[in-house]
Amino acid sequence: MIDIAVRIIVYGAVVGGIWALVASGFSLIFGVARILNFAHGIFFILAAYIGIVLSKSGVNPYLATIISVLLVGGFAVAIYSGLLARIKEHEVMVIIVTLAIALLVEQMLIIIFGEHGISYPALISGVLKIGKTPITYKRILAFVVAIVVLALLQLFIHKTRTGKMIMASSQNYEGALLVGINVDRIFVITMFLSAVLAGIGGILYTQVFAASPGAAMKSLIFAFAIVILGGLGSIKGSIIAAFIIGYIITLANQFLGAQWAEFAALLIIIAILVFKPTGLFGVEE
Amino acid sequence: MKAGAGKMDLKKIVLGVIFLAASLIAPAVLPEAYVYLLGMMFLFLILVMSWDVIVGYTGQVNLGHTVFVGLGAYTAALMQVPSRFEGSIDFLAGMPQAPIPISILAGGIVAGLFGFAIGVITLRLRGYYFALVTAILPLVFMKSVFVFSEIFGGEEGFSIGLERSLAGDVTLRYYYALMLFLLSFAIIYAIVNSRIGLRFRAVRDDEDLAESIGVNVVRYKILSFVVSSFFGGIGGAAIIHYRITIGPDLYDIPLMLLIILSAVIGGLGTLYGPVFGGIVIYLMKSWWLREMLPSIPEWLPINDDVILYAILVAVGVLAPEGIWGKVKEFIRERSEIKSSQST
Repeated sequence: MIDIAVRIIVYGAVVGGIWALVASGFSLIFGVARILNFAHGIFFILAAYIGIVLSKSGVNPYLATIISVLLVGGFAVAIYSGLLARIKEHEVMVIIVTLAIALLVEQMLIIIFGEHGISYPALISGVLKIGKTPITYKRILAFVVAIVVLALLQLFIHKTRTGKMIMASSQNYEGALLVGINVDRIFVITMFLSAVLAGIGGILYTQVFAASPGAAMKSLIFAFAIVILGGLGSIKGSIIAAFIIGYIITLANQFLGAQWAEFAALLIIIAILVFKPTGLFGVEE
Repeated sequence: MKAGAGKMDLKKIVLGVIFLAASLIAPAVLPEAYVYLLGMMFLFLILVMSWDVIVGYTGQVNLGHTVFVGLGAYTAALMQVPSRFEGSIDFLAGMPQAPIPISILAGGIVAGLFGFAIGVITLRLRGYYFALVTAILPLVFMKSVFVFSEIFGGEEGFSIGLERSLAGDVTLRYYYALMLFLLSFAIIYAIVNSRIGLRFRAVRDDEDLAESIGVNVVRYKILSFVVSSFFGGIGGAAIIHYRITIGPDLYDIPLMLLIILSAVIGGLGTLYGPVFGGIVIYLMKSWWLREMLPSIPEWLPINDDVILYAILVAVGVLAPEGIWGKVKEFIRERSEIKSSQST
């Protein structure tokens, strides 16, 4: 009994931490540029695949991780500057084009790597025992990295000049323009940051669980559930909601079976939309 | 201006008559396999048109249209093979087998009701909630089909048996499909060009303005969504009776993208455009791409889906109003230059 309780507490925290990274990235670019990025899940899974390929070709796994995260950030910037920046005003097209990009990349990954799950090369090994429950160091690493990155994100946004500019642009686009912020540059930086967060999340996720190209869409579902629960556009809300959802998913996994996780996510979304559409910390549109 | 509009209508009528004549003659001149494919195309066009009602005319991005197609399809299929409920929902297993028109209509109604339920929850909220929720629906729908595979047949799907198809003869089936397409087109055309359709467009163009002149925005959004889902369900149910098998390709994301691509290429909110786009895309997917694929080097990670997605990205970025719109714009600009030169 205690065994199960410990496991749920730890696993939920790990899953929550990973989804907090992914969802805060999704929330960030939506809050700042009003881009509903359906290709966000691609950054998540692409970072893992690039890292795996690099480590297999002999690059040190830690170095491979850093390179792959930066590459994914660059890829996101390319997508934004090359494609999305032109159609930003056209909301419907932004959604359709990002969805098409997501499926395009997913399909190419399936052709290259197949549909089966893959695991990220171990960045750390060993097992910690809490009572009788074995917890792998991989999970602990995932949790610690997630918390550190989230803390750094908070520091960056609230303490640095660029971070404050990002916040300003998200609060009031025209106001930011008026005080002389180069909003386009801010959008590019935000896109980079958003993809980097998803990429780190993806690597941590594939470190703990096996992931396949299909995980891109799955991660998007959880990101949606989280941002709707946390309130669209609120980073603080996303982080808190990620842990709530993380625990719900873990409970569903434990007591109902893995295939119910998506149902749980959808039910949560519907329940929030019915009872409190603005979410926990939502900003009024 | 008025004269110009009249001329456009004449052009449309001429094009329509040519289209109709070609469709009627097709089975007489084409081999059976092509006739079968064209019949499928007409049913696919119903899916594209119905999607355009909510997205193109009302401006609400529905990314889960295939769920309504799938609902219609499963409703029809299970009404034909109620024995699949044995052991799970026994009282449904004893259901008498429904006549085909009833089962198609039921597919539409079930899809429409589900659309109403989703619409009531999501469309009263402004902004992005509708797109987010509808994007998730296909994944949950697919999960349900796999989890309850003894009823829905899981990944393999199931067959309703040739004797329950629209008609044993391919040519006759083709004409049924054509008829259903024309009927759906006529009804959707009547709706989007009525006062109701005008309100749909008012909601799309400016919700605040529409509200201020007394349009009940939420009610019209939901109405539009129900109409769209209903015809999506009709299309799905008809496809089942056309090809007698049901499987994931009827509610999977690639079909969604095919629908989106068709409507976007043709131009959202024009009805004619999506029909035109649907024909081009369906034929491209079924014929040209299949013939072109072997010429792509093996080592490139490209298949027909990848090409279609790339086209969608390109069209979305370069011509968000649709290729059809671009062509019209181009012709208008040319004629304006000419007329300004002549004066």
